Amino acid sequence: MNMLVGRLGPWIGGAIVLIALPYVFSSGFALTLMSQIGLLIVFALAYNMLLGQGGMLSFGHAVYFGLAGYFTIHYLNFIYEEEVPYIPVTLIPLLGGLVGLFFGILIGYVSTRRAGTTFAMISLGFGEMVTALTLVLVAIFNGEDGIQTDRVIGEELFGVTYGPNIEVYYLIAGWCLLCTLAMFLLTRTPFGRISNAVRDNAERVEFIGYSSQRIRWLAFSLSSFFAGIAGALHAVNIEHVGFEQVSVLQSGLVLFMVYIGGTGSFVGPIIGATLLYFLQSTLTGVTEAWVLYLGVMFVAVIMFFPGGLAGLITMHQPIWRVHSRLLAPLLIPYARFFAALVASVLGCIGLIEMLYFRSSRLSTETELIIFGIESDPFSAVPWVVFTGIAVAGGFAVRKTLPSAVSAWNTAIADARALPRG
Amino acid sequence: MALIKWVRTFAVMLPVVLVAFSARGADTVKLGLIEPFSGPIAAVGRDTLEIFEFFANEVNQRGGVLGGRHIEIVPLDNAMNAEKTTQQLRKVIDDDIRFVSQGVGSNHALNIIKFLQRHNRRNPDQAILYLNHSAVTTSFTNELCSFWHFRFDANVDMKVAALVTQLGRDPSVQKLYMLNQNYAYGQAFQVAAQQMLAERAPGIELVGDELIVPFGKVLDFTPYIAKIKAAGADTVLTGNWGPDLVRFVKAASEANLDASFYTIYAGIPSSVAGIGAKDGIATRLKQVTEMHENDPLYDQQPAELLDTYDRWRQQTGKSIYSERMRWTIEFFAAALNKAGSDDPALVAAAMEGMTMEGPAGPLVMRGADHQIIFPMVISTMAEDLERPYIYEGDNYEVAFATDGWIMSDAIELPTTCEMKRP
Amino acid sequence: MESFIFAMFNGVLYGMLLFLLASGLTLIFSMMGVLNFAHASFFMLGAYFAYQISEGLNFWAALIVAPVIVGLVGAGIERWGLRPVHRYGHVAELLFTFGVAYVIEELVQMIWGRVPVPYEIPDVMAGALFTWQGFDYSIYRVFMLVVSVAIFVALFALLTYTRIGLIIRAAVSDPIHVATLGHDIPRIFMWTFGFGCALAGVAGVVGGNVLGTEPAMAIQLGPIVFVVIVIGGLGSLGGALVAALLIGIVTRLAIFYDYGVGSLILALGLEIDTAGMLRDFTRITTAQVAPVLPYLMLVLMLIFKPRGLFGTRDV
Repeated sequence: MNMLVGRLGPWIGGAIVLIALPYVFSSGFALTLMSQIGLLIVFALAYNMLLGQGGMLSFGHAVYFGLAGYFTIHYLNFIYEEEVPYIPVTLIPLLGGLVGLFFGILIGYVSTRRAGTTFAMISLGFGEMVTALTLVLVAIFNGEDGIQTDRVIGEELFGVTYGPNIEVYYLIAGWCLLCTLAMFLLTRTPFGRISNAVRDNAERVEFIGYSSQRIRWLAFSLSSFFAGIAGALHAVNIEHVGFEQVSVLQSGLVLFMVYIGGTGSFVGPIIGATLLYFLQSTLTGVTEAWVLYLGVMFVAVIMFFPGGLAGLITMHQPIWRVHSRLLAPLLIPYARFFAALVASVLGCIGLIEMLYFRSSRLSTETELIIFGIESDPFSAVPWVVFTGIAVAGGFAVRKTLPSAVSAWNTAIADARALPRG
Repeated sequence: MALIKWVRTFAVMLPVVLVAFSARGADTVKLGLIEPFSGPIAAVGRDTLEIFEFFANEVNQRGGVLGGRHIEIVPLDNAMNAEKTTQQLRKVIDDDIRFVSQGVGSNHALNIIKFLQRHNRRNPDQAILYLNHSAVTTSFTNELCSFWHFRFDANVDMKVAALVTQLGRDPSVQKLYMLNQNYAYGQAFQVAAQQMLAERAPGIELVGDELIVPFGKVLDFTPYIAKIKAAGADTVLTGNWGPDLVRFVKAASEANLDASFYTIYAGIPSSVAGIGAKDGIATRLKQVTEMHENDPLYDQQPAELLDTYDRWRQQTGKSIYSERMRWTIEFFAAALNKAGSDDPALVAAAMEGMTMEGPAGPLVMRGADHQIIFPMVISTMAEDLERPYIYEGDNYEVAFATDGWIMSDAIELPTTCEMKRP
Repeated sequence: MESFIFAMFNGVLYGMLLFLLASGLTLIFSMMGVLNFAHASFFMLGAYFAYQISEGLNFWAALIVAPVIVGLVGAGIERWGLRPVHRYGHVAELLFTFGVAYVIEELVQMIWGRVPVPYEIPDVMAGALFTWQGFDYSIYRVFMLVVSVAIFVALFALLTYTRIGLIIRAAVSDPIHVATLGHDIPRIFMWTFGFGCALAGVAGVVGGNVLGTEPAMAIQLGPIVFVVIVIGGLGSLGGALVAALLIGIVTRLAIFYDYGVGSLILALGLEIDTAGMLRDFTRITTAQVAPVLPYLMLVLMLIFKPRGLFGTRDV
């Protein structure tokens, strides 16, 4: 019984959170944001089936996301013109998934014959080709303009029309939960395990009688299926699809999400998609330097904690599994380190913002407000202050890091010494 | 000492800033500006924002609109991404902003038109009006026309009409080569030019008609230049913009191609900077615009307007290259006053058929399709002009000199719009 | 026939520029096994530095100094960025350079602004050297060809006949044994990376004024450089040369001999679909898709011969 609660608990909790969120954040902006995050979670998890679980680095996975979006929009428009059989919008994402699956099987067959860098390069090649085709084949993709639709095509169950955003939110939330569960269960199947094995050592997998190429192909196809579902949800949410959805930039964004979130654990992509999309949507209005921060964040994750944000959490799992009080001695060293880190980051942000202001300020912008403080980038004081904060923070980071690390080492050693429970 | 002052300012300012944020803009008419303010083409969006804020401020200094209310420009970043555009539109609804403007990227324009059609039908009490300052896809004022959309720039067909009319006037143009970007806009340019050449300049021989993969994919234009040379063309007509235009022109100049280049977008700052004086003059680079600073008519404009221009140049260190954005603000202010209300439906009705004085003739907002009609000017890049091109304080030492004006009757094209008014 | 030779010649000119770009990348890969995604960003840095230096001094100073600075920047990034990532494997290294490309692009925008900078061909080389088929070839274009050929010859000689080349080639095939012989492998890696970046810098100096120096140039050039070295066979300098020339010539021929799918359909005696969803397929001509052909070649190559033309190992 306890075990059942332990297993189902996160899912029930997740469902409750998804249901409750619109009551907390009810604005149209928040609803769109949460809807986008929901479908990006599906996309990121699908991507991690490749990168994290299958060891395949793709620079072109947006192809399946985007093509499913194009298909969905066309299908909705055809329903409107009564040229194709009616499918309720509730089930349209499944159709998108099948489109993703179709292209996944097709392109996957040729691209998954090799792993590693070959695979990455083929995915880049396909990504570039499909993006170029979306611009050239105007009748299907309508070039730069993309294609639009109206998602209100008819009466769904229970009088839902998918006109109001809230209904679309719940559609996406439902599919998100369903796909997340499906992908989680997939990791527990023999296929999921053997996919991990192919990632770690394809040769040995061949020795025990599996075709590593087949496994990669299957993983690729399934991943494309879920990417297709996400693409269809995107099409329903935005009621538009354009070449940017298939482009290498979109593929790069999902790569950033998954890697920063953490490829090594199942929740990593969920964290990454949520955090990055939230930051992107809120920060682009505040700072011009958002892309720089994103790039630096990505590089920092690769250099300093390749497990991603989820990796930082799972690092502590063995400790609290044993007893949560073992975490207590970590608090102070961690708080010190964190404070130092925040200080140095804030200092750097201040400097970058002032640099940007000086290089590309508009004449109508007369003041620069950093963290609520008016800072004049043309006087020396803010430069001195922010440099001081950044440097002092940097020194403090170097000073506090060893104690934080040793605190963790002690805690993990204690945890190993104690019996479980 | 300064440090202490700074720290003290911090302590005092923080609550002030917080209050200021919440209380800002109580009695303004808000105009949301959805453009890319981050990412690779943020420069275009930020230039637009500067123009909008400057000229909105001019209106406000003159006494504002609706008896003293100010126009407030609310920048909304779409990062050149369709989903962000939609998201910002939802934010516009949340914040009860009733007017939006946009122009960079016709895909976003189409998105806004479609979005507002749905939204305004579903929520007539919260209708939102869209002022399109630069998106040129012709269908927006033809089959896709909407009561909630007004365009303050000439569409592709009108611009091509102006260019082709000028080609027909120029006796040196015998053999013409066309090269366009292979996507919706470039193809529309191509089709319109083919049709209008037959109508307006039947004497010109079209010796080549090429489409290229768009958006910087073509790195080396020399084979195209070789084809143009082989075809014996004396004139090139292209709708290319951005790197596709810059590399094309530079390659032509490097190979000493003896041909004039008729373009739409040669005069935007990044293109002038990228092409440079030498290559631009060597290719006799021409543009079609609503006005430019070195036209003889420039000095004949009202004195207050010339003052405003001087102030703009002084304040921003930039030339004036898109009058249409000023027009957008001026029409908006005039329509608000004429309607006597900030209800978008009334403002839209007031804007239909509205006219204003332009440099070479009236600017008319045609009621039938919400397309502005105005005379356009063709100009060629040249040196030693009175007002050389400046951008962010840099003097490019070239500008454009007028070849000729194309009056409204030659540009005004029939519309297929069947406007549905609420 | 003459136009065929003409197209070939143009292809060689363009192909050599591609080779110049790709040579550093293939050198880095053959040495370190790292696919440097940021390679085109170093190319961009070379162009921007060259612009800045030729503003202050002149083009010739830029040709020497800019690549050196780019090389030092590259070596610095290797030392303090890439080296710590090395232990996480090649995929992490590839991702690291992917992130670096983003950061460099933003930094360039922060320093030089978001509009192109006016980096021009030096006046002494702007004039025409010779005319063929009515087409003027500037001195500069030939200068680019000379620089590319010189770099190829120098690299080839360096790898084949010098002691450094010997160590590098040995390190490619067996890094552990080379290390046990007392060579400081991390140090060799750092300078190889820096040298490869400097080569990209040279390409930036001589190519930036022709292609236009702007923040988006790295993104536009990045993928094509990959195509060159993958088709040529990773780590093979000669392969990169052949692939670059092949791409140059194929794209040129596609533009000169402008055949379309439509003419093929007509030749088969079929009717052309002019109204349906697929009408654009029948309208496509080889000239319209020329820039995409290298990607098609890449995909086909990787499917049928994953080692590339002259590669000795898998990608």
